[in-house]
Amino acid sequence: MVKVLVTDDAAFMRMQLKDNLTKLGLEVVGEAVDGADAIEKCKELRPDLITMDITMPEMNGVDAVKEIKKLDGNVKMIMCSAMGQQNMVLEAIQAGAQDFIVKPFTFERIKEAVEKVF
Amino acid sequence: MSLTVKERNRYITEILNGTYSSLKAVVPINYELSKPKLVEQSIHIQFGVLIGITGDIKGKLVLDGQTSIFGSVGETMFGMPLEGEMLTSFSGELGNMIAGGLSTNVAESGINIDITSPTIVQGNTKLSGYKKALHVSVNLENVGEMGICLLLD
Ligand SMILES: [Mg+2]
Repeated sequence: MVKVLVTDDAAFMRMQLKDNLTKLGLEVVGEAVDGADAIEKCKELRPDLITMDITMPEMNGVDAVKEIKKLDGNVKMIMCSAMGQQNMVLEAIQAGAQDFIVKPFTFERIKEAVEKVF
Repeated sequence: MSLTVKERNRYITEILNGTYSSLKAVVPINYELSKPKLVEQSIHIQFGVLIGITGDIKGKLVLDGQTSIFGSVGETMFGMPLEGEMLTSFSGELGNMIAGGLSTNVAESGINIDITSPTIVQGNTKLSGYKKALHVSVNLENVGEMGICLLLD
């Protein structure tokens, strides 16, 4: 089973993501509340996939992606952010994210991103 | 480098229009807008969400309304009633999604802004420390009224 770490500062969003990912047959093994927390939980839980918000209080998601890439080159990352401007998407993809979902998202969009990555 | 009055006014117009388009994209409820009003006195909020704006223009975007209005919006969007901490968390995220959409929209007009994580404001909070403030009432069909405040540093 694909192990997922969900990262978002909003508990509501983590719940939404967890519901959608579980429905797709993925196992959500942890939740992180900001970029720094995602780095720690990534080391600890060794997920196959991380969903990454951008706007978070301690370390934004793009910086976290860069750090996580250095730690584990194999982990897949999907951005999930309310900000969708082109330079932001490009920066995230260059940092090592595989896809970029703009909030609010649909179940279909999550499904498409997961299928693209695996 | 400070902005000229003309540039500043263009930014304000783009930010308001960007906020309306974002609201339309995020919240699947028809709405009517009041004309933007310049706020002369201080702003008091019972419940709302505040997002900081940095970059080409600096200030704050505030959504305010009764918790029941935020609850109805959440229920319309996600098909389930929200209460307590989940309602507070949803309200913050609604602000984040609207401000995020706003930043995406204005980027197309060459205005670069970044947004901060949302702060929930509650219990008769007075907002101050801004140079200029605009308020718009949003009447959401069959739901009620929500306010949008743009506070500029
Ligand atoms: Mg966030």
